[in-house]
Amino acid sequence: MLPLSLLRTSQGHPILVELKNGDTYNGYLVSCDSWMNINLRKVIHTSKDGDQFWKVPECYVRGNTIKFLGIADEVIDLVQKEEQAQAQSSPAPRGRGDSRGGRGRGDRGGRGGDRGGRGGDRGGRGGERGGRGGSERGDRGGRGRGERGGRGRGQ
Amino acid sequence: QYFIKRVQTTKGMASLLEPFVNQTISVLTNDGRNLVGKLRGFDQLVNVILEGSHERVYSPEGVEKINLGLCIVRGDNVSVVGLVDIELDKKIDFSKLRAEPLKPVVH
Repeated sequence: MLPLSLLRTSQGHPILVELKNGDTYNGYLVSCDSWMNINLRKVIHTSKDGDQFWKVPECYVRGNTIKFLGIADEVIDLVQKEEQAQAQSSPAPRGRGDSRGGRGRGDRGGRGGDRGGRGGDRGGRGGERGGRGGSERGDRGGRGRGERGGRGRGQ
Repeated sequence: QYFIKRVQTTKGMASLLEPFVNQTISVLTNDGRNLVGKLRGFDQLVNVILEGSHERVYSPEGVEKINLGLCIVRGDNVSVVGLVDIELDKKIDFSKLRAEPLKPVVH
């Protein structure tokens, strides 16, 4: 069982959060995300030494400030039920689907890169065409060549 | 029994915890606490789920046991994870145990 999935299952249940600075937040878990950022409701915030208390209707705690989370014991039973439900609803085919998706993304990424390279070649050919055009027209062509030559050859 | 495995680079070091799942482990946290409980799950960041956990507080006066129940310990607070030998653990007489508490980690 993944820790973040346990956290997601405990949404709506009471939770205890101890931060790295020692402060504790007791409240109901409203929501959480993949960075462990959490949103709590009906919170009692206690200072590290236990001498100060705040009653906070709602608060947001950034995941990286958390030391640990105390979860209500009833939640573990809920997780087991969810795991059983998931095992029944998703058999093997999902795995094949994932591999197709992975290969597809890989192929497109590779071709996209090739297109970028060809685009560069086109730019070079365009410059060559400009040079040939200039030689036929005389003076204008000469200046054109000189300017372009300067950039290209680093005068 | 010792678990020494050659870890695949794709899985990462965290997979060393796999043999410990559903067993009693001892976690030493960065603030110097010792949490003992059943490992129910973990992830690549070493966030750990402990079931039926309690904290053992050591002091020169004696040992205190604080029950925590189900908890998630955030990975960046974990220093050490060790497998508990339950038979050996039962033999410890906590009433007579005296020890200095661990100091918190200093970076």
